[in-house]
Amino acid sequence: MLSICARCLLRSTRLGPRLPRQRAALHTDDPGLSPALLTRARFLAAEHAQLSDRLGETFDAKAAKRAGELGPVASVLREWDTANESITELKSLLNDPGTDTELHSLAIEDLESSKASLLTISDRLKQSLIPRHPFADLPCLLEIRPGAGGDEAGLFAFEMLRMYMALCSRRGLRPTIIKQDSDSGTGEDRLAEGVIEVETEGAYDLLRTEMGVHRVQRVPATEAKGRTHTSAVSVLVLPSFPEDGSSMDSALNFEDPNSDYYIDPQEVRTEKMRASGAGGQHVNKTESAIRLTHIPTGTVVSMQDSRSQQANRKKAWQVLRAKIAEARQEAREQEIMVLRRGAMGGVAKMGRGDKIRTYNFNQARCTDHRSGITVHNLDNVMDGGDGLETVMDSVRTWLNDREVEAMVVEEQTKQQQK
Amino acid sequence: MPRLPPSLLTTVARESPLLSLLLKECRTLESARNELRWLRERVLRDGPAPGWATRLRSMCRARSRGLPLQYILGDQPFGDLDILCRRGVLIPRPETEAYTFQAAKLIRRAIETSGTKSLSVLDLCTGTGCIALLLHALLAPHIEQLRVIGIDISPAALQLARRNLTHNLERGSLTDRASADVQFHLADVLRDDKHDIPTVEAVLFDQGLPACDLLVSNPPYVSPSDFRDGTTARSVRHFEPKLALVPPSLHGQVSDLGQEDVFYSRIITLSRKLRPRITVLECGDLMQARRAAAIHESVTAEVSEDFSVEVWPSGQRDLEENGFHAHDGSRCVIIQRRDKDLCRQPD
Repeated sequence: MLSICARCLLRSTRLGPRLPRQRAALHTDDPGLSPALLTRARFLAAEHAQLSDRLGETFDAKAAKRAGELGPVASVLREWDTANESITELKSLLNDPGTDTELHSLAIEDLESSKASLLTISDRLKQSLIPRHPFADLPCLLEIRPGAGGDEAGLFAFEMLRMYMALCSRRGLRPTIIKQDSDSGTGEDRLAEGVIEVETEGAYDLLRTEMGVHRVQRVPATEAKGRTHTSAVSVLVLPSFPEDGSSMDSALNFEDPNSDYYIDPQEVRTEKMRASGAGGQHVNKTESAIRLTHIPTGTVVSMQDSRSQQANRKKAWQVLRAKIAEARQEAREQEIMVLRRGAMGGVAKMGRGDKIRTYNFNQARCTDHRSGITVHNLDNVMDGGDGLETVMDSVRTWLNDREVEAMVVEEQTKQQQK
Repeated sequence: MPRLPPSLLTTVARESPLLSLLLKECRTLESARNELRWLRERVLRDGPAPGWATRLRSMCRARSRGLPLQYILGDQPFGDLDILCRRGVLIPRPETEAYTFQAAKLIRRAIETSGTKSLSVLDLCTGTGCIALLLHALLAPHIEQLRVIGIDISPAALQLARRNLTHNLERGSLTDRASADVQFHLADVLRDDKHDIPTVEAVLFDQGLPACDLLVSNPPYVSPSDFRDGTTARSVRHFEPKLALVPPSLHGQVSDLGQEDVFYSRIITLSRKLRPRITVLECGDLMQARRAAAIHESVTAEVSEDFSVEVWPSGQRDLEENGFHAHDGSRCVIIQRRDKDLCRQPD
């Protein structure tokens, strides 16, 4: 077994990038990996080989980045090939009537373990094929708003704000509350709108599992008769762009009019909100609120948390940019969805309006409706502990599985069109 | 001051007794909440030290008596700068911030069209030094040589202005060259006769600056009646220096000039000698701005030079973007010298 593997490895490195074409025809014992995905993997691995060749001669930052992205695909595909080959050889050994009985039983054992490992390898291969989300490497903004449920929704929104703050601090992600509004006439522990900025790069990818409507079921503190209420809190995860757009990739450079995320300053109305009447030396008001309105989409962002109008303006722009980028990205995803839907016959995406998770206090459980996971340590979840991360991890797996499904459909349609 | 609705008072009292204290001065729940948060953040800035709750309560009590928040906290953001505030020196206002940004924008446009490499700025009645320092922060990246001179009659103000210079150098909001470029000097803007305080001309002569490119000023402009009759807020009247608010009465000088306008007359006369390309003067309201513009017209009546005079902000977009009320509240006068060679009139 060992010797076979070593030989295969040697052979595959010797033959290099020309191999894929021959191997594409190789029949597989892998039920999980569709031919369509395999073709895609071969295609990407070949691109990687080409790029590596070119990088051997001259350095090109763009090519290096792309090669880095494709690296995992190529290496996992090699592993997959190796495993497949060893299975084929074991099978031929079994079919050979000249094999003695001892070797025969050994081969059967090996075949079983090889098949098992092939499954995990093909799983990893699928994961590596998922294209990176365009915002995956960015820091993020997390917006929390109470939905249906009145006071109770505001209370729970406040608890969720604390939950995410605790989670981010525990993971060392540098969270800051940049906006914490409560409605007039209610207490400060009732959130009307909260925004957390998570400055660490890649935070968007980590937290994007949280986007959607979170439902809470419990007897609220405000309830006198002991009835259980159901309320909702919606969470938005938005990409956070650095202040200076030119440091970004061209696609994400929001200062470049050709970028998808460009906002024309002419289309944004700025208002400083001040109580009317006398101004200047006659009075000394401390208001510093700023409101921005993106006229074409009607998106409004107001910010009043800092004493500095300049700081409020910067934060408001950051949130506005994030909201519009997210909306545009979502519109694009929607287009792809429409294309896919014809082939798939169903919808696999959860939008921001879908109920994604329930926190049930009476049963002390937290259930995610996408992955179907239920965690029973609700206190730990609300403290932003491991429980919450378990849920988030299961959702990430779910999201990836949906991506893979979509990919299969896409490749199949592509091949049918050929 | 309009009476607060009882329902608001009860909600606030239920939320926090500190908020009730702040509401007396803030008048709206929104701003009382903001101020409470800012105060609490300041008290807890270095972690909860023993006695922080008591300190917070005494701060709120001081605020309820009308003491400006900036004197309690000791500072006020101004652009990207942090301006230290002390009793005896006027607190920077958001309108002044808007005028400073506008002045910087206009002079930058003038630099770009004329291609000059050096620029001198004069800020009369500088107070905390906020205008002078912010102008340096905004202009320094765009010009090789920059000199900014701030003038004030109050030694306390000058001391604070210099501290603000070092304070903002330390926190990195000003570039290192500011320590050489920006200077604050004692002078009396109003008097040009013999006096133990030097005149502006004398100071500029000492500094070897016969002229300047940008002249800005936020002089005292509150009339004695406005100061008394409630137009001026209690907090301002009781806690901010009258010296920085109400111009002195000039006994023995026969003129039809109102006491609140004396600084404009003097500064515009001065600007005849200094020949700035752009002059920006803060005024109390639209009427005062028009009076200042009229003073400029009369002073330059016999001069063949061409000026453009505007009251800013006046367009709806400018008003909204800078948080100005459509009719009431402060305005500034912007006087630009039309010089065909140097400074083409921008659109």
